Amino acid sequence: MFVLETKNLFKHFNGIRAVDELSISIESGKVTSIIGPNGSGKTTLINVLSGMLEIDEGVVVIEESEKLSKIKPHEIPVLGLTRTFQNIRLFEQMSVLDNILVVLTDRHVFRAIFETHQIFHLKKAEEVLTRVGLWEKRNQLAINLSYGQRKLLEIARALAMDAKVYLLDEPFAGLFPEMVKIISGVIKELKAQGKTIVLIEHDMGLIRELSDYVFVMDSGKLLAEGKPEEVLKKKEVIEAYLGD
Amino acid sequence: MDIIPQIIANSLIAGSIYSLVTLGFNLVYGATRFVNMVPGVLAAIGGYTVYYLFSQLGFNLYLSIAAGIFIAGIFGYLSDRLVFRKLRRNKASNLVSFVASLGIFTMIQAVISILFTSQFQSILDVTQSPTTYQIFGATFTWIQGMIFVTAVVAFIGLALVLKKTGFGRAVRAVSDDEEVSKIIGINTDKIISWIFFIGSCLVGLSGIFVGFDVGISPTMGLFIILAGATSSIIGGIGNIYGGFLGAFLFAFVENFGIIKISSEWKPAIAFSLLVLFLIFRPEGIMNKKK
Repeated sequence: MFVLETKNLFKHFNGIRAVDELSISIESGKVTSIIGPNGSGKTTLINVLSGMLEIDEGVVVIEESEKLSKIKPHEIPVLGLTRTFQNIRLFEQMSVLDNILVVLTDRHVFRAIFETHQIFHLKKAEEVLTRVGLWEKRNQLAINLSYGQRKLLEIARALAMDAKVYLLDEPFAGLFPEMVKIISGVIKELKAQGKTIVLIEHDMGLIRELSDYVFVMDSGKLLAEGKPEEVLKKKEVIEAYLGD
Repeated sequence: MDIIPQIIANSLIAGSIYSLVTLGFNLVYGATRFVNMVPGVLAAIGGYTVYYLFSQLGFNLYLSIAAGIFIAGIFGYLSDRLVFRKLRRNKASNLVSFVASLGIFTMIQAVISILFTSQFQSILDVTQSPTTYQIFGATFTWIQGMIFVTAVVAFIGLALVLKKTGFGRAVRAVSDDEEVSKIIGINTDKIISWIFFIGSCLVGLSGIFVGFDVGISPTMGLFIILAGATSSIIGGIGNIYGGFLGAFLFAFVENFGIIKISSEWKPAIAFSLLVLFLIFRPEGIMNKKK
């Protein structure tokens, strides 16, 4: 089943076609990577899918039934989506623990004031922070974490969302091998749990290791698609990355 | 030197009133990131509501106070719902939002003048009980004592809500990064409306206390919002702990500055403190240097 699809999706900025009539289908329970040179529209696509940018034309289809031409960002958890950012975005002035608890908090104002599931939430926060090795840092402000720890906290926040689809925008960028191992482990675990991962990444070794399917974008358009070992050999893909 | 305890008491009372404005101002500023003038006029709304219900219609004092707080809160909520939310959606600049807030401020102030005249009004003498108390040589009335206790309770209550509850975490998240707050499922418009309501209730309460302490006039909001904004800048804008501290520092400087000179110098001395902070420590006492 396709958990997420785009049909003729179009997004432009002052005449520049960042996403150009893009139609892709993401299969449920798989790791699907989106690759392409810088400026090919990958992050714009994630921004559109997560409601941070409005859809100009086309639709996003959720689980082959719900067709959306407008996505409100605060409703993406209801659609089963969550995301991380290429440039890490945390709640900087909040503690590591609060960065997770804020995800778990009841959205009803009165229930959020008189929290009734606090112990359950703490347990869940401990679970995800321990998974990425940040439980010991729980009382530190997010702003005081190292770059790698901040990446891990963003992953932990996504885990706490308990989504169906994880949109991960360059989660490995700039990380030490040890941290790369933690995040690739998390992705494998999510897949084993039947979750869907959409991964934007430039490291072809990781793409080969983790991906079930790959879409290649160039200038907002779909250039190629298929299994990683096939796609990465294609001449047009190599040219798009390396130039003519 | 007998005057010192009284100046300290006066500073604590003034600081208490300013702290309520500052708490409200900082809450709203933290979430919206523009200097909002509306809280100033909401203080006047709080004061005039109590004046009208209690002094004019003879309603129960405490019910009138509750109504004053609530109506100020509702006006604050409506200002967000009808104006600022639309400006946010249109991605209006901070300058546009500031000008809009100035417009609302002027409009409501004019309506108050039409309804109640421009004259200075006192909330009835009953509230200004002749019963006074003395501590360490300082004299204060019960209402002044209540002002101090209420400000401290409001500060502690707000700090606890922000620190310990899920709602508080959502408020802090929205103040930290509104866009990411949306991504994790927070309805930021709803949270910001609540912030406007709570912040406006606090400012409305400060207006009521000003009414009890010195009286009310339609233009009272301007000094109140300037005092609130100045205290915020001194303490660290957007930081409620800093704002609370800044409010008392502002009040102490204001009151101690006129020991040897005419009280007409009060605003000049107090706002000099603002200028000094803007030059030498623009981030305020509690915020870190960027």
